[in-house]
Amino acid sequence: MATHSRRGRRVASRRSKPNLVLRRRVLTAALSLAFVSLSAGVFYRQIIETDFLQEQGALRYLRAAEIAARRGMITDRNGEPLAVSTPVETVSANPGKLLDDSAAVSALAGALDMDAERLRAKVIANKDRQFIYVKRRVTLSEAEAVKAVVAERKLEGIGFEKEYRRYYPGAEFFAHVIGFTDIEDRGQEGIELAYDDALKAEPGLHHVIRDGRGRVVQEVEQIRPPRPGTDLTLSLDRRLQFLAHRELAAAVKEHRAKAGTAVVLDVATGEVLAMVNQPSFNPNMDRSGGSEQRRNRALTDVMEPGSTMKPLVVAAALEKRLISPRTPIATAPGYYKVGRNTVRDVHNYGSLDVTGVITKSSNVGVVKIAQRMAYSDLWHIYDQVGFGHPTGVGFPGESGGLLRHYSNWRPFEHATMAFGYGLSVTALQLAQAYSVIAADGVKRPVTLVKRDAASLAALKGTSVLSPATARKVRAMMETVVSDKGTAAKAQITGYRAAGKTGTAKKAGKSGYRGRRYQSVFAGFVPAGQPRLVMVVMIDEPGGKSYYGGTVAAPVFQKVMQGALRLFNIPPDDPMPSMLLAHRESAQ
Amino acid sequence: MTAAVRSRNPGKRRRENRAALDYPLLVCALGLLAFGLVMVSSASMSIAERCCGDPFFYTMRHVMALTLALTAGFVAYKVPTAWWERYGSWIFLASIGILVLVLIPGIGREVNGAIRWIPLGPLNLQPSELVKLFAIIYVASYMVRHADKMTSQISGFIRPMVLIGIAAALILMQPDFGTTAVMIATVMALLYLGGASLMPFVFLLGVIATGLVALVVLSPYRWARVTAFLDPWQDPYASGYQLSQGLIAFGRGEWLGVGLGNGIQKQFFLPEAHTDFLAAVIGEELGLLGMMLLIGAFAFVTWRAISIGMRAEAVKRPFESYVAQGIGIWLGLQSVVNIGVNVGILPTKGLTLPFLSYGSNSLIVGCMAIAILLRIDALVRQLEREAGPKRGLRWARA
Repeated sequence: MATHSRRGRRVASRRSKPNLVLRRRVLTAALSLAFVSLSAGVFYRQIIETDFLQEQGALRYLRAAEIAARRGMITDRNGEPLAVSTPVETVSANPGKLLDDSAAVSALAGALDMDAERLRAKVIANKDRQFIYVKRRVTLSEAEAVKAVVAERKLEGIGFEKEYRRYYPGAEFFAHVIGFTDIEDRGQEGIELAYDDALKAEPGLHHVIRDGRGRVVQEVEQIRPPRPGTDLTLSLDRRLQFLAHRELAAAVKEHRAKAGTAVVLDVATGEVLAMVNQPSFNPNMDRSGGSEQRRNRALTDVMEPGSTMKPLVVAAALEKRLISPRTPIATAPGYYKVGRNTVRDVHNYGSLDVTGVITKSSNVGVVKIAQRMAYSDLWHIYDQVGFGHPTGVGFPGESGGLLRHYSNWRPFEHATMAFGYGLSVTALQLAQAYSVIAADGVKRPVTLVKRDAASLAALKGTSVLSPATARKVRAMMETVVSDKGTAAKAQITGYRAAGKTGTAKKAGKSGYRGRRYQSVFAGFVPAGQPRLVMVVMIDEPGGKSYYGGTVAAPVFQKVMQGALRLFNIPPDDPMPSMLLAHRESAQ
Repeated sequence: MTAAVRSRNPGKRRRENRAALDYPLLVCALGLLAFGLVMVSSASMSIAERCCGDPFFYTMRHVMALTLALTAGFVAYKVPTAWWERYGSWIFLASIGILVLVLIPGIGREVNGAIRWIPLGPLNLQPSELVKLFAIIYVASYMVRHADKMTSQISGFIRPMVLIGIAAALILMQPDFGTTAVMIATVMALLYLGGASLMPFVFLLGVIATGLVALVVLSPYRWARVTAFLDPWQDPYASGYQLSQGLIAFGRGEWLGVGLGNGIQKQFFLPEAHTDFLAAVIGEELGLLGMMLLIGAFAFVTWRAISIGMRAEAVKRPFESYVAQGIGIWLGLQSVVNIGVNVGILPTKGLTLPFLSYGSNSLIVGCMAIAILLRIDALVRQLEREAGPKRGLRWARA
């Protein structure tokens, strides 16, 4: 039976389909060949070509991308934030996915506080692109609103990117000291620039996989972790800064002055507690204003210190034992010839003692005191209190002032140096010089950064004057703030204040002509054991009054009054309050 | 006689009693389906999360499609092969009608420039997938009905090719180049097996080849696809984009792959990672080993189908034989073309990987094909038992 069937098939094959088996074999062979060549193809791609393909892959999906890191925060001495980097989100979109969804565009615009029509126009204009920024650097709450819209409407193609934005809570009160950063988060001015290395965040670097739309899909490996910037605590006190700013601004406005600056120093530590300038600017807003608004005048601008130098001249002479506070100095007839030039007083004060020279601010008197010393003695005291050298706060653009060496002095220069002309100083240098008198003759480096315990322990001063000399000079300076002195308006009820006024004529193109003045008051409180030094300078007051005692001293009085209360400094002069009470009862 | 058979070959008897079904084929197909579910999940997760907020969006749909496909397979297993033989032509005509429906605006749904789907509630009907199976059944039944003409007359070749040609033209209009090619190749292979004379065969092959070349030249996007396949690195960001990304996936896989779920190319680089380029994801995540197992599985299914066909022929069931061999050729061809496209040895076409790719129609028709194979195998076993062993059968069983 089996034999028959085989024979039958063979016969049939011969007649009609002679190669049916062959055909099947051909087909089976073809399919087998297909599978084998497929396997060979897979083997070639996976094993032989793998290096090339992996390299091509890496070119496409691997990117070194930065991880945003937070720039260091700047705070005041009590930890109040003055410059903070807040996380913000940048919202992007795939325009193609929004094109047909007009309601979604409106919702997005609403969430981001944008004009819906403009966003729609932007989407349509970029419809062939895969990626547009909807809005850069939006607040977290705005980003949340966008995420809500995305979830509600099931939108596709909306992306978020984390960034940081610098924000200055101190606004115009701290603008000059803090400075600001640029769009790349790099310090441009002020502390932001000076301490940029410490503050700046080092963005991390990671290899990321990016999809076809250029957005990060997955982190592969972190090459370098992000390093947030170091926080920086300034020596400034926010409350005092506000107070100083307010009073300075009020005085500049009241006296129609061109500008103004004020510095408060902590006597014991050399820390700057307040540093304000007028005019100011708000670093959070448009910064297009020029350097008139942006410079930190307390450090960048120099002035001729005028009469505020007199206590230093007296101090130097006292130190040399050339005079005593009671040494009589003849100032009559109110002028004094030095070579071909004449030194003048405002009035003829007649015969004064050394204290009287300070009290009345007699130019003639102080020149006569200075003439008892060698040029080098005067130069030394100025040099040692810090004139002619930058203070070392490391502030960008700080001026070192100008103090010419005594070897080049001529007799009249020696004379003008004594009442503060012929040299130039910054407000901070003046405050530093006064802090030497306030600190019993010890000069300590000034700083804008808060001193921690370790730094305080390591703080070393250099002795410039003997404590006895400093005390004597302070006693003389107290008389300036008395009713008989030039700065009666600096008196603070309950405290003994000491200081010195200065009213310097500004040198213009044609010398010391024209009625352009700089009104200065430099002083300290409490006079017995000074804690705070303050320098106030009002530049070119435009009103009738331009004397340091009438323009600058009231600012000192108001700010120091507040400062004494802020720092809980006990009153050292209960008598005036009794006198005041007496006066009030008499009225 | 039965007793005599048993005494002659006891080993074979045991096997027949045990296996009423072709279990190796069933296990292999189910394994491919399960593997497909795993790989579709892996390939689609990041896309699903980005687009739909749910990483299991495509996985859940794939599970639903699998349920549907297994049900369809069960139903197809219950249908006797005689029913397919009797109604095969009508089913094919009906499916041509549906192909026409797809092209009517308002009925067919367009995705990425191709109109291939008819929305039916939650399911989208993709008739071009089903047509492949029905064309095999139609041609098989035709070849049985006109067995005498097949070998002697040219019309025996041309007549079935008219209807097939209409279906092919309709599918081309969608346009779906890959499905057309696989369908025509399968049908022609079937006619070749059936003994159609070679002359018209060669002639038609030439005409089709010329037509396809003309189409490719006239249709620029296909031309771009063809050139991209020849050198995807020429223009890796436009026409060669998909293929170069697929090749990178294979290159990253090496011997053992980067590990299941660790693939990078599926993350927005490889378009269609869970459908047409699933093999690239497998290559990246499971390496050469995974690919060899996959290709081996498809080769096994193909070989099994053809051997079932040969056994059916031996028990004088030509229709079942042709259907089984047709299914084998089709599945083998489609898997080879899909993987071949993925590894860049064939031009890029939109073809799914049978049993694995995401897409309910592909799964359903795949399960139906396996069910029909199992049914034919069961029938053949029954007939073999009834007829007793035949010496001439041994080589087919090997």
